[in-house]
Parts: sequence; C-alpha cells; structure tokens
Amino acid sequence: MSAILTNQRLLEGFAYGLFIVIILAMPAFMDEFWLNRIAKYLVFGMLGLAIALSWGYAGVLNLGQGLFFGIGAYMVAMSLKLQSFTSLQQGSDKPVPDFMLWNAEPGAPTELCCINQGSFLWIPFQEQWFGVAMAVVVPTLIAYFIGSAIFRLRISGVYVAIITLALVLLVRLLIIDAQPVTNGFNGLTDLGWLTIGGFEFDPYLVETYYLVAGSLVVVLLGARWLVATRAGLILQATRDDPNRARYLGYNVAAYQVFFFTVSAAIAGFAGMLYVLASEFASPTFMDLAFSISMVVWAAVGGRNSLLGACIGAILINTIEATASETELLQEAWKAIIGLIFVLVVLFMPRGLAGLMQDLVAFLAGRQRSKRRADEKPGVAVQEAGE
Amino acid sequence: MADVIFIGLSLSSILLLIALGLTITYGAMGVINMAHGELVMIGAYTAVMSGIYLGANLFVALPLAFIVAAGLGLLIERLVIRHLYGRILDTLLATWGIAILLQQAIRLEFGLTFFDINIEGLGPGLQNVAIPSFLNQPWMIGDFTVQPYRSFIILLTLALTAVTWFLLYRTSLGVQVRAIMRNPDMAAACGIDVKRVSAYTFAYGSGLAGVAGVMLAGFKTVSPDMGSSLVVEGFLVVVVGGVGSLLGTVASAGLLGQVNGLFATWTNDILASAVVFGLVILIIMWRPQGLFSFKGR
Repeated sequence: MSAILTNQRLLEGFAYGLFIVIILAMPAFMDEFWLNRIAKYLVFGMLGLAIALSWGYAGVLNLGQGLFFGIGAYMVAMSLKLQSFTSLQQGSDKPVPDFMLWNAEPGAPTELCCINQGSFLWIPFQEQWFGVAMAVVVPTLIAYFIGSAIFRLRISGVYVAIITLALVLLVRLLIIDAQPVTNGFNGLTDLGWLTIGGFEFDPYLVETYYLVAGSLVVVLLGARWLVATRAGLILQATRDDPNRARYLGYNVAAYQVFFFTVSAAIAGFAGMLYVLASEFASPTFMDLAFSISMVVWAAVGGRNSLLGACIGAILINTIEATASETELLQEAWKAIIGLIFVLVVLFMPRGLAGLMQDLVAFLAGRQRSKRRADEKPGVAVQEAGE
Repeated sequence: MADVIFIGLSLSSILLLIALGLTITYGAMGVINMAHGELVMIGAYTAVMSGIYLGANLFVALPLAFIVAAGLGLLIERLVIRHLYGRILDTLLATWGIAILLQQAIRLEFGLTFFDINIEGLGPGLQNVAIPSFLNQPWMIGDFTVQPYRSFIILLTLALTAVTWFLLYRTSLGVQVRAIMRNPDMAAACGIDVKRVSAYTFAYGSGLAGVAGVMLAGFKTVSPDMGSSLVVEGFLVVVVGGVGSLLGTVASAGLLGQVNGLFATWTNDILASAVVFGLVILIIMWRPQGLFSFKGR
C-alpha cells in the first residue's frame, strides 16, 4: 500500500513538473498565431482547475462558473475599452466607448459622466489598474455573498448546481438588457492592450503568452498547496460526510464558502486573462453551454485532480480546434465532442487522471508481486489475483 | 387584464408541457436529462417530416412524435442512463453529451451529408410547420380575443396532465413507478422489475417531450438548437414545484408562466425572464425541496 502511495506522489510531482516545463517551453515550437491560441486554452485550463477545486475537493458543483469568468472578463474589458483607439477619438478629450456614442441621444454630452444614465459606472475604469483589480475583487465578493447564503442554509448537491445555473443565466440577461452600458448582445470589442510600466501586452507577443502561462503555473501550484493544507483536508472531510465533519466541531459552511470563493476568484482571474488574449468580452461567456462545458472538461481530465482537470480542458479545446479545421471533420467535430463526453462519463468516471493513477497502481502492483514472487513463489500469485 | 392572464396561461402551458416529461424522468428516476430539450426538438422535426412526406397535419404528428421520441428515449435509457442511476450529476454530464449528439445528428442529416445526400426537412436550416387553418382564426368573446392555437395548447396540456396523473395514480404501473420514486431498493425487494419500469417511465417522459415539440413547432421556427434553452426552464419548473410532485409541477408552471407574462407586459421579455430566474433562486433557497413535496423515506 505504502509503495503505491509513494508511487502516486512521485507520479504527481513528475506530472506537475512535466506539465509546467511543457507549457513554458511552448514558445520554442509555435508561431505567434498558435501561441495566442494555446494561451486561450491555458485560460480554459485554469477554469477546469477552478471547477476541480470546488467540485472535486469541496463536492460543490458550480454550474454557474461562467458568471465569475464573465464578470472578470467584463471588468478588465471595460478598462481596456477606454484605452482603445476608438474610444479616444470620439471628439472629446476624455475617452468614451464608441457604442455609447452610436446610441447617444442627440445633444447628449460626450462624456462618461452623463452620455447616458448608466455610463457613470465606467468612470473609475479609466484607470487600468482598477479594471484589473475589479476582475478579481468583484467575482470574489459576489461568490462570498452567494456562497454564504447557500452554504449557511445547508443547501447542497444538485440544488447548488441549480441555483448557480439560474444565477449565471439571470446575470447574462441583465447584461444583455443593460445595452447602453454593456453594449448588450454584441459585448465589448475593439479593446486596447494591457500596459504595464510602458510595456504593451499585444496578444500575439510571446510576453503575453508567458503572462498567461506564468499565471497558470502560479495558480496551479497555489491551488495544489491549498488543498494539501489543513483547511484543504478538512474541506475534503466535509465533502465525504458533512454531518460527521459538523459533529467533529468544524464549521462546514465556512470551509465551503472559502473554497467556493477561491474557485470564483480563479475564474474571475481567468476571465481577465482571456480578455487579454482574445480582445473581447461578450455575454456568451455566461451562456449555459459554456458553464457546462467547463464542468465537462474537468470531468474528462479528472474531477478529483487539479492538474487532470486543467489538462482535460486544454486537451478538449485543442481537439475541438484541430477537428473543426480538418476538412473531413469540419461538420462532425461537435458530434465527436459529444461522444467523448458520453463515453468518459460512462467508462472513465475519474477521467484521464484516474486512468493514469490506475496505470501506475497496476504497474506498481505488478512490480511488487514480481518482487514477492522472487522471494516466496506461490503466495504472490494469490495476492495478484485479489 | 384578461389578455395578460391569457398570455401568462399560454406561457405556463408550454412550460408545463416541457416540464411534464422532466418531472417524470427527474422526479421518478433522479435523472437530470439535459437532452430533454433535444427530444422536444426531435418531436418538432417529426412534425416537419410528417408534413413533408405524409402530407399529414399536426394532429397526425402528435402520436407519431410521441412514438419517435419515446423510442429514442428508450434507446438512450438502455445505452447510457441505465448505467448511471444514483449518480445524478453524472447523468447531467452524459445527457449533455447526448444533447450535442442529437443536435448534430439533425444538423448533419444523420451523417448523410458526408455522402452528399440531403434529406428535405433536416439539416442546419430553419423549418416551418403550418397549423391547420381552423386553429388560425382568432374569435371573440365580448372584447376578448381568443387565440385558438394557444387555447388548443392549453387544452392539450391539461389533457396530457390528466393522462399522466391517471397513469401514475390509477394504474398498477403507476404504483410501481411511485414505489421506485420513493425507494428503488425497497421497490425491487417487493418484486418490482425496477429496470423495466424505469425504462418505460423514461420512454414515457421522452414521449411527452416529443408531443411538446409538435406543439412548439406550430408557433416557433424549428431548428436544431431550438431545444437547448427549453430544458433549463422546464427543469427549474420541476425543482420549484417539488421533485416528483405532479401537482407541484402544475402549480409552479402556472406561477412562473404568469410572473413571466406579467413582467413581459410591464417591462420586456428579457427582464421578465430575469425576474423568473431570480424568483426561482429565492424559492429554491427558501425551500430546496420545492413548493409541494412528499415526505420521503
């Protein structure tokens, strides 16, 4: 047993190391176009990781993760929109988003304060750091309040999934409806670039890739550290048996709220990075399909493994992109993805990560029984059959 | 005012039509069937196809769609759902995959586009179904305009609800279904063939989705992705009403439909849907077990 455990540890360390080396070495093999794409998939990997954190470790299935991703994306996109060329050239010395001018009433002052009723909300976003900070702060706060309400009422399981699902659809509708402020269905496009210390993060630069990849490494290692702390262990205890954890004196709700919030903060951060790489934010980030897709990525990679879920997301998206561009599969790629979902849930409930673990356990078991067989023939055969 | 109530009633009836199948598959079997919307879509396509190839009108399409959707449901149950009982969130993920597969099957005309074979009525385009002319003429009662097609939907929904109620509460099969609903292990111990009854129940719920599809085809454009938004609404209705409670589903469909109708007349459709989502969230937080629910175990 201990041999298997050590092996699992070794495998995990090796897998993390390999993954980090591969994503950091990516620029050596790819052109800018593919690097930009991979950067987006790495962002999705971060989303898969966030799902695994709340689903695999806390047992809380959040079907509305797109809410936090979307809000993170919108917050930073608002800042970048004000920095874009189109916003600066609207006949005013202060930046005004172009879509606000298109819809402005005749004679309305072309300033953020009063071009329409809600435009004052954009004023603080003239500072880029404000948008960047809000991309994490707002999702964190929202998740904290929602999480507190849900978990203190001891709502669990499928009901959490339904509430979060209804919530993301609700916010999506509000954003679409608030057309004057958010540009409705069209979302925010024509964004400027993130500028730090005079350096502009053009999405097709290697530096931008490293910004995304580096962030993913930090988040991955941070999350891995977090689940191994005492709090992480207690969290897993609450997942396996909330009542038992409660009777042992732990404040179950507090742990659930904390990890739900961390997961949301990661999603918001991912939303911000996605905007840097893709240069737009739109209500589609809050579509039902997107939020469910994230969960499926995590399921394919392995819902109980942070790295597995992350790799699952990257893998599925790469398959999607390649299949949709292969001429033969152009039409069928969605069906292939659907089939993968069904087959994984049916035959690989622990995902790719589970497959790897089984493989290692199998190899380790064989090695062990081989060793035993050398010492005491006869006994090992029995054990191996167990 | 009567107009607003009628709009609400007709929204309610569509919600109920979709939720009726779900209340059976989710309530009785603990399966979150994300492909339910796609079964509705299949029903709508059955109406399109029977119109094109059989020259049949909606009334002929109703039983046909029931059979097609129920058969498909039976197949899905056999191949996938059967292996996932008790893993409720996994049913959600697997049926999400099935939903994608069904959509693509229609879009690609069951894969025949690869051989350059095109079937009229399928494919990614939009389809329309004509409704019989006598259901098209509005008539007046005093100042109040009666929309005959909408009224027909309301009546049909009521009839289907009554049939479902009868099946569940007045037949021996219904007793078995309700026994499985409360405790599948005890039901099996009492000699109920849980697998067989579950398969039939799932097929019946799917069949109802098919019927809903035919009715939707009468006033909505039919397209491969028409079903994806329906399943969430139907599902929320079921949860708000209380899992496994037919009365609860009827009541919550009525409530949510009326709220939607009222706010749609005061503000706009988008805000009205948002209000419904908000209301659903509050109700679930207040009573996760739903408005009407039996005391389990």
